[in-house]
Amino acid sequence: MTAIGEAPAARSAKRREEGFWYPYILIAPTMITLTIVGLIPFLFTVLLSMLEMKFGQVKGFAGFDNYAELLGDGRFWSSLKVTFLFVIIAVPIEFMLGMIGALALSQRIYLRSVLIPFLFIPTIMAPIVVGLLWKIMLAGSWGFLSYNILEQFDILAGTSVFASPNLALYGIILVDVWQWTPFMMLAFFAGLQAMPVNPYKAAAVDGATPIQIFFKITLPMMAPLLAVIGLLRLIDAFKVFDSIFLLTSGGPGTSTESVSMLAYKTTFEFWRIGEASALAVVIWILFFLFCNVFYQVAKKKLKVF
Amino acid sequence: MTARSQRHARDVRRGMVLTALIVCYAVIVLFPVYWMATMMVKPATDMFARPTVWVFEPTLEHFTYIIEHGFAGNLLTSFLIATLSTLLVVIVGTPAAYSFARFKLKWRDDLFLFILATRMAPPVCLVIPFFVIYARIGLLDTYIGIIMAYLTFNLSFYVWVLSSFCRDLPIALEEAAMTDGYSRIQVFTKITLPLLRPGITATAVLCFIFAWNEFLFAFLLGGSVVKTLPVAIPDLITTQGVRWGEMAIVGMVAMVPVMIGVFFMQKHIVRGLTMGAVKG
Repeated sequence: MTAIGEAPAARSAKRREEGFWYPYILIAPTMITLTIVGLIPFLFTVLLSMLEMKFGQVKGFAGFDNYAELLGDGRFWSSLKVTFLFVIIAVPIEFMLGMIGALALSQRIYLRSVLIPFLFIPTIMAPIVVGLLWKIMLAGSWGFLSYNILEQFDILAGTSVFASPNLALYGIILVDVWQWTPFMMLAFFAGLQAMPVNPYKAAAVDGATPIQIFFKITLPMMAPLLAVIGLLRLIDAFKVFDSIFLLTSGGPGTSTESVSMLAYKTTFEFWRIGEASALAVVIWILFFLFCNVFYQVAKKKLKVF
Repeated sequence: MTARSQRHARDVRRGMVLTALIVCYAVIVLFPVYWMATMMVKPATDMFARPTVWVFEPTLEHFTYIIEHGFAGNLLTSFLIATLSTLLVVIVGTPAAYSFARFKLKWRDDLFLFILATRMAPPVCLVIPFFVIYARIGLLDTYIGIIMAYLTFNLSFYVWVLSSFCRDLPIALEEAAMTDGYSRIQVFTKITLPLLRPGITATAVLCFIFAWNEFLFAFLLGGSVVKTLPVAIPDLITTQGVRWGEMAIVGMVAMVPVMIGVFFMQKHIVRGLTMGAVKG
């Protein structure tokens, strides 16, 4: 605190000297930019969701009608179901395979540093290119996997997985697992590398079996990291769009229509912007909750942020 | 044979088996990429052949088509947008990342959470307001429009990850420089920035990759004048049929900078992709 009786000018000069505003000046450009490209679009979406719109023209104020319409729409619930099914199958598979892969990778492996960059390739590829890759592999009748594997087992002769209402979603899941398992593997591997060695030495002295070591030492010590990475993947998986767009456009019917796909179609195919905005706001709030959980876990348990 | 050398031999065998398994996994995972690469020079008759054709006479017809249809322009557009948006992010975001890592800001947690939320926001939700606003103010299909939209996910990502790199720098150096009479700005430019350079490069490379790979914004906010490589892919599904060979070329070309980035940055990629949670 400044001394009583000090002139205001002197006080502010002192503050300037102490660099009181300095940290805020440093973050100002970023915060202003993110307000313009993040916060304002969000608030604008909230506004749009309250308007009655037809083909891009404002017809009046709708209050919560758009939300009511959304909640009464079977397609919204079906898209939620598709998204949840997708996330609940794909993410645990990626998680488990990633863990197994990471454990294998942390053993004595020859040429590890040569192999690792190759494992990064699927993860860092453009999702739209990943979609293309699998469009080629699973194309009806001539696709490499369709012909050489599926057809040999008498599954779907002549058509693509993505044309089957029952199997299309599993096709999309396969694509996601292909793309993200290596990421989980490398992230967990990096986590394993950073673990302290002492508990392992003690366990070796006590003659613990590898399974005991995994469940009693590795898993508890890695739990916060596993939670953070798992949450991150969960959040990302909920957003799935590009691969679905290229592979099925949400079809056949609505069997692969995720919430993102539905929001896209409502806006850019049906031009029902009010309702699409309501959907966007709902998704946004959901994501904000996820984000908060991610932040709390990462900050408190992992102490990295 | 002593017990020790026996154990050594067993360890070597185990290592070989595990290495072989991981190599197998890598080969299976990368096979689709190889297969797409062959599509670039595969004649249409061999593409659709049943059973699958492994050996074929390479053709350049797909390349001819793609060059005649403005592919070089798409490549340039992609490159310009990714480079400019990354540069902008680095200039705007670096001081903020430093500030978040070093100073006790008021509402720091709330501001940081806001940044994270901006990063995590589903692009499809953002594209709706962007589209409506851009349509009003005439920013649809412009470079500025797309670069601005990319700031949403890239600036927030950059600040978040770079401040994790900042926290790794020892504060003692900065304090020493301050006692030597450096001003705060000099400390930042002369001490912090040089030390932070590897972190800046790694994070910027990831931002470039994200911008380069981005599809949804580029597709809906751009599309005819400003058309990036990922947007060129679905365009090759024409009414006369799907141009597989051409799509394969665009896909492979789109992968090149990403692969280069991976090979140079592999140490930092895990850290970036996990938002700084894992120090790779």
